[in-house]
Amino acid sequence: MFLLTLGLLVAIVSGTAFGAVPLPLSEVIAAIGRGVRGLPTGLAGTVVIDVRLPRVLLAALVGASLAGAGTLYQALFRNPLADPYILGISSGAGLGAMIALVLTAGATALRFGAVPVAAFAGAMLTMLLVVRLANVRGRLDPTSLLLAGVALSYTLAAVTSFVMVLAREQMAAIVYWMMGGFSAATWGYVIMIAPMFVLGVLVPLLSTRELDLMLLGDERAGHLGLSVERFKLVMLAAASLLTAAAVAVAGLIGFVGLMVPHMVRIVLGPDHRRLLPASLLTGAIVLVLADLIARTIIAPIEIPVGIVTAVLGGPFFIWLLVRGERSR
Amino acid sequence: MRDSLGRAGDASLRSGSSPRESAAAAESSLRDATPASAVALLEYRGADVGYSGSLVVRGADLSVRAGEVVGLVGPNGAGKSTLLRAVTGDAELLGGEIVLAGRGVRTLPPLERARIVAVLTQQVSGAFSVSARDFVAMGRHPHIARFSAPSDHDRDVVQRAMMLTDTLRLADKPADQLSGGDLQRLALAQALAQEPRVLLLDEPTSHLDLNHRMQVLDLTRSLADEGMAVLAVFHDLDLAARYSDRIAIVDSGRLGMAESPERVITADALRDVFGVRAVVGTDVVTGAVSVTPVLREAAVMGETRGRVMVIGGSGVAAPLMRRLVLEGWEVSSGALNVGDADQVMAEALRVEYAQIPPFAPMDSEAGITAAKLAKRADAIVVCEVPFGRGNVDNLLVAVHAGKPLVLVGDIPGRDFVGGAAESYWAEALDGGAVRIDDIDAVEWALSHVLAGFQVAD
Repeated sequence: MFLLTLGLLVAIVSGTAFGAVPLPLSEVIAAIGRGVRGLPTGLAGTVVIDVRLPRVLLAALVGASLAGAGTLYQALFRNPLADPYILGISSGAGLGAMIALVLTAGATALRFGAVPVAAFAGAMLTMLLVVRLANVRGRLDPTSLLLAGVALSYTLAAVTSFVMVLAREQMAAIVYWMMGGFSAATWGYVIMIAPMFVLGVLVPLLSTRELDLMLLGDERAGHLGLSVERFKLVMLAAASLLTAAAVAVAGLIGFVGLMVPHMVRIVLGPDHRRLLPASLLTGAIVLVLADLIARTIIAPIEIPVGIVTAVLGGPFFIWLLVRGERSR
Repeated sequence: MRDSLGRAGDASLRSGSSPRESAAAAESSLRDATPASAVALLEYRGADVGYSGSLVVRGADLSVRAGEVVGLVGPNGAGKSTLLRAVTGDAELLGGEIVLAGRGVRTLPPLERARIVAVLTQQVSGAFSVSARDFVAMGRHPHIARFSAPSDHDRDVVQRAMMLTDTLRLADKPADQLSGGDLQRLALAQALAQEPRVLLLDEPTSHLDLNHRMQVLDLTRSLADEGMAVLAVFHDLDLAARYSDRIAIVDSGRLGMAESPERVITADALRDVFGVRAVVGTDVVTGAVSVTPVLREAAVMGETRGRVMVIGGSGVAAPLMRRLVLEGWEVSSGALNVGDADQVMAEALRVEYAQIPPFAPMDSEAGITAAKLAKRADAIVVCEVPFGRGNVDNLLVAVHAGKPLVLVGDIPGRDFVGGAAESYWAEALDGGAVRIDDIDAVEWALSHVLAGFQVAD
């Protein structure tokens, strides 16, 4: 855990240091130091404090949110393939966020309030719908769950495209937002999702033992004293809040929520007391680095970070599927 | 309290170290000292149970007391599991009440419930690779306050639960890589880690081999003897009879009275409830009721082939009687001694016969009964039974009945009445009886003699 925290700090600093204009490490640290003390920071300082730092922090928050949501979904559905993207919940949040974006086209202040709320509403509704669809005679069938998620995310994507057509003048911005990225990152975004993140992470972090129980199945967890229905609802709300936070500022970024909990579980085991915090930290590191790749690989042109995570995550997902088939 | 072979040693989960623990131990010994009828820990009071509005078992009344094992038996789908599941809210309690340690289950919060009752089900899933020890430790959840870590006492309880269930050697293995049997015992350890006062077992031994099945049931038995109340669903009637103090039958949406195995498991009950004709006896080793199924009611051919009387004894006719009943014949038998293998089979098959006491010779009353049965038969089969003074009248009845006759085997070596049996035999052959070499040819011979007889008519 200590190593991961250190890793995150290193990732944040290097994420701030590298970019289209490389800056020496000493200057980055000096600029952050000056910024913290409220001193004037100069040009390099402006780049660091106003552009790169919020971007890196936002990436860290989004990465942690997605990984946290993935961890929760995987535990609650006892399905190693569950993540906000595959379950269609990101798409739901995306549609919600986009409707809010279009409706509040002129009013920036309103946007900061409306987008996260709409994203959360979209995420929660989609989640309830997916669970409802996958519920076969009181049992949540894992295959149906994934199928329902995939099918629903296609439907939602279609609706999203339709809304986009209606709001033609904003199409370019929306498309770019949907592909997932942090190029528009500002401190405003960081402040906007920080409370969602804290709330969405705090409740699960205080319930790690209960999350462990969920691995035994709903019924068994109930035998051991868990109020399963209530607990699930609270945790799914937390996961949806995290998903909404991520989607509201960064659009659709796939596979982080799937890959990160998996990698951590392989290393640390399924105990949520370690798994959950470690996933949050790893998710932050992964997305900060992915964003770094996205903006430096063909600099000065930036590619959306969603492309980077998809390129890494697609093969990983296939590997998981194949491995699952073999072990059966 | 019933005894069982091979107790699993001292099954106490209580250490007696802290004051609270010794108080608990004292309480448990108090429970042992008082008659078992004292404390009802689990009570069904006119309980209607089912799923989302559809009733499975109605008006169930049952009280499971500290110190006893109550077994539930009945056909598949009768609602045995539903009754258990209603205690933990996995099935719905649609009417009436279920009371756990004096408290209605409807208003009992899950955490408190988990401190009173533990459940072991047939299907245990070991999803994700939790280590076996961590898996068992999850059973401590209801006892560990929120935000606190497990104490030494918690670890002791887990250790003892694993010791009792013989799972310590699995402690570091991932639970999802264990065999069904190991996982089942691990789930029992998890249940014991809850330190429950009531244990619900739903076919607890379905995945276990012979050794572990006995181990788990012996353990359950000794836990009950120390004051736990156990309600268990059994598929195997012999196991139910052996390990239960009382048994209740669940059938057609009703829960029967819980009574001693001897009173509940009877040939009539088996026929009514399971549609099986069975020999109900006493296991010579354990002394418990033992059930040997003979045939399924549904397997008996619908059409009646005719009435046939089988002369047997010493078990030579039992397989033939079973076969004939299955093929749709209405079978009767001559005189049989109580305790004879053929008599036991005749009882199980509900074959009519003339009953004589163990080792007693046929008296005139038995001879008359046998003759009446012979008169009603369409044909008579005489099996390869030795004839002595006690049973030669069976042969006499068969030969003089004037019915088509099938004789199995040869008479030399079987006549222990100085030639009387041989002379009846010869008389029968003169009268047109068909002689066959072995019992497998009986069906052929029967159709032969019956056809011939009809032609001769």
